[in-house]
Amino acid sequence: MQNYDVTIIGGGPAGLAAAISACQNGAKTLLIEREARLGGILKQCIHDGFGLVRFGEKLSGPEYAERFMDEVEKTDCEIRVLTFVTRIKRMNGGFAVTLVSRDGVQTVQSRTLVLATGCRERTAKQVAIHGTRPAGVFTAGTAQHFTNLLGELPAKKCVILGSGDIGLIMARRLTLEGAEVIGVYEAKSTPSGLTRNIHQCLHDYQIPLYLSHTVTRVFGQDRLEKVEISRVDESMTPIPGTEQIIDCDALILSVGLIPENELAETLGVSLSAATKGPICDGQLMSSQEGIFSCGNALHVNDLVDYVSESGELAGKNAALYRGQSRDWVDIHTGKELLYCVPQKLNLQADNSEIVLYFRSRDVLNDCRLTLTVDGKEVFAKKYRFLRPPEMERLTLDFSSYGIRKNSDIRLEIEVKDDD
Amino acid sequence: MKRIEHINRNLQKRFGGAVRCEERDGCRIVSGTLDTWQQVVAACDLAADKYSKTHVVNDIVCREVKPASPRLPSLRDTALEGDAPDVLVIGGGISGVSIARELTKWKLDVLLVDKEADLALQASGRNDGEVHPGIDLGKGSLKHYYIRRANAMYGRICEELDVPFKRVGQYVCFDKGYLKPLVGLYCLWRKYHDGIEDTKLISGEELKMREPNFSERFRFAISNPSSGCVCPYGLTIAYAENAVQNGARVSLNTAVTAMQVENGKIVSVSTNRGTIYPKLVINAAGVFADDVAAMADDRFFSIHPRRGTNSILDTKAGVLMHSIASIKELSASKTHSKGGGILHTVHDNLLVGPDAVETWEKENTATRKESIETVFDKQTKTMPKLTQRDIITYFTGVRAPTFEEDFIIEPGRRTENIIHCAGIQSPGLTTAPAVALDIEQMAVAFLRKQMPVEKNEKYDPHRKGIPVLRDMSDEERAELIRQNPDYGVIVCRCEEISKGEILDALRSPICVPTVDGVKKRVRPGMGRCQGGFCSPLVTKIIADEFGIPISEVRKSSAESVITYGKI
Repeated sequence: MQNYDVTIIGGGPAGLAAAISACQNGAKTLLIEREARLGGILKQCIHDGFGLVRFGEKLSGPEYAERFMDEVEKTDCEIRVLTFVTRIKRMNGGFAVTLVSRDGVQTVQSRTLVLATGCRERTAKQVAIHGTRPAGVFTAGTAQHFTNLLGELPAKKCVILGSGDIGLIMARRLTLEGAEVIGVYEAKSTPSGLTRNIHQCLHDYQIPLYLSHTVTRVFGQDRLEKVEISRVDESMTPIPGTEQIIDCDALILSVGLIPENELAETLGVSLSAATKGPICDGQLMSSQEGIFSCGNALHVNDLVDYVSESGELAGKNAALYRGQSRDWVDIHTGKELLYCVPQKLNLQADNSEIVLYFRSRDVLNDCRLTLTVDGKEVFAKKYRFLRPPEMERLTLDFSSYGIRKNSDIRLEIEVKDDD
Repeated sequence: MKRIEHINRNLQKRFGGAVRCEERDGCRIVSGTLDTWQQVVAACDLAADKYSKTHVVNDIVCREVKPASPRLPSLRDTALEGDAPDVLVIGGGISGVSIARELTKWKLDVLLVDKEADLALQASGRNDGEVHPGIDLGKGSLKHYYIRRANAMYGRICEELDVPFKRVGQYVCFDKGYLKPLVGLYCLWRKYHDGIEDTKLISGEELKMREPNFSERFRFAISNPSSGCVCPYGLTIAYAENAVQNGARVSLNTAVTAMQVENGKIVSVSTNRGTIYPKLVINAAGVFADDVAAMADDRFFSIHPRRGTNSILDTKAGVLMHSIASIKELSASKTHSKGGGILHTVHDNLLVGPDAVETWEKENTATRKESIETVFDKQTKTMPKLTQRDIITYFTGVRAPTFEEDFIIEPGRRTENIIHCAGIQSPGLTTAPAVALDIEQMAVAFLRKQMPVEKNEKYDPHRKGIPVLRDMSDEERAELIRQNPDYGVIVCRCEEISKGEILDALRSPICVPTVDGVKKRVRPGMGRCQGGFCSPLVTKIIADEFGIPISEVRKSSAESVITYGKI
């Protein structure tokens, strides 16, 4: 049986970064990708805007991925594409990973795992859309696959539900290909996507955005013929009497992403209800010893640059992991915060440079983020605004805050009136 | 039996002379004009005797009903022009395909037609797949006559046809302890009077041990170990494939539009693909069975469609229970269907539902939010951990009951060369294997009057299904991949379906080269992402296999365009 120090599952941006950093830290590394090519979802993201934080330039998705693919080529990382993990079991203090590929079924052994499995899109049924089941109802990623990878036009006159980033990108993409985008409808009262995408993908193309609206029903037996759109109240419940019928041949859904953690669950990894990703510590190790998580499997990121960053961290820590004992202490979040990652600190580890990602629950203006340890404020930062679609990132030296085993660590937000 | 005067008195009382009933040609014809469909159903119910062979024929004009003709395929050709099969089976649901398969035991030219783009697209593909034990069926009905025999056949049939079947058992749970003696007597009655032998009572503790996630409040349950589950469309497709392997022909996208009847005999049958001249017609047309009977000039019953919606839950919820839970309402319920239930499917999902709503729309399978909510309100009482958050999809089917709420399995009453297999609703999936054997006998007996009917010596009851690699041991899987490396390329990540399995579906005896056709046969797109990842890949595989542009691949029907061509 082949033996590895680090096995990385998923060859998208998180997995690529993890593979490079694991190798750079001396680990014998295996990278597994189920598709024929590396790059994950970046392969179909042909728009630009990737890499601004990391490289200071605007790259397309494939270009961004290629930088990492070139890098991983230079390492000793073993890469297996068209290979699918069917099962992982704990074995001899490590893991037995069973792989299926054109070569058959093989089990390899690995000391640690990095789960870089990305996320999937929520579907029409998961947002309770009713009616018939015609062709022409696509998630934005599926429509993007048809358009950008297969070069096929999936819509002529479409409605986009959800203002998530892929939906906004697809609104522009389909417009550029000659399709009519009637509008983007969002059940929430604020947009879900990045502000820059609202401007660059909608405003620049005069595509209307309707907030507090949702699709309640679809019609059409063969191909989609029309949709019913309703206004929704604050709890996002459709308001009777506000229904309007819109003729269209496609409904494109951008209604949320769900981290893929089915493999993680089979390994007993605890998931966070807020992120749907593994609960982890500053080294991105999950509740299970030796299992690390990164990228969109850990939590849905807004920028790929952060996906790569978490991949690097997970890959490095997996490479350096030698079964050291851990002491976890919670980072509690206030109710204004949707979540923070990591959710735990390992007091046995070096916490002098912990990258903390967080999102606010609502749009907040003029607020102050505070970090308190045992009631004492150890860090604070003012924000002009916080928006849930925009993830925030901080690097903090937790080793300097006097944290002890039973310390009460709180990350909270004060909304100030007098700022 | 209700007397006609009595019926008319009740109709008068309820509808003030708007409708009346008369007995003609052994039927009860109800006519008049009413406002709502609910009234129409109520009036016909008043005229009907449960399980009777004297059927209600509904001639009431309903003001609420917008007349809708059946959806017909757009295809027009002459592929079947002049075709003269010995037997023409109308309907590619479980009834039609099982009859066709049994008929291939004989040297007969059997042609099965269905107007849809695939088999099992109506009720047979839109039910929960329960193989019923028959606990709730009264003696004297055809449903009861067939259920025990058919239930016992399931193990063998599913083995022959290579489809998964699990006898998981069914529980009817009760929360009122004081009912136990009464229900105990009921079970004894069912056992000795009706022959439902495996039924027994189990205690609340026993139930808790078997199904720990069921509600704490249950005091006891009726246990029906002979109950099981099967994939209903999988079984339908398997039956049809076996029929085709044994010489039957299946023509999809083929709608029967008219019949020419002379002297009590069907001379020809018109379809969108040409005129067919069959010796014998078998009416297995589901919700359209009364329309087909009318075309054959043999209208002696009416179908009143009843809609039901089921939800499918993620396999993650599948671990909550392992059997079938059914709610039996002891109150005198006006609805004819059971209150639905929760079922652990052969694919390890949970299926929750269905509800039962009367409708005039035979083909409206659009789902409604209210149905899901009704069903969940009810079923969470059985299993409190059930949550709508685990739903991955939902679907609606339309049952095809008569007003007598029983099957019609008999030769035509006025037209001699037709056999009706009509009024098929629950437990019609369960009873199909046994019903098919009887209809086979009727058909052979009829045909023997005009031609010799000999045994088909080459008949092979065994059909080999497409291998399911995810269920195999590593060794078996590796061996298959060695023979065909495409089995090692996973296309659908949720259900772990390989390219090899998808290609097998495209090369199967009844090839339906659509995204839905592949999905029905080997399940890519059935999982939690609902085809989000794999549908473009499946589309591409279909295009490559047939050498057609991607834009020519369809979701299901000829009009269900997926993409419009190169950008």
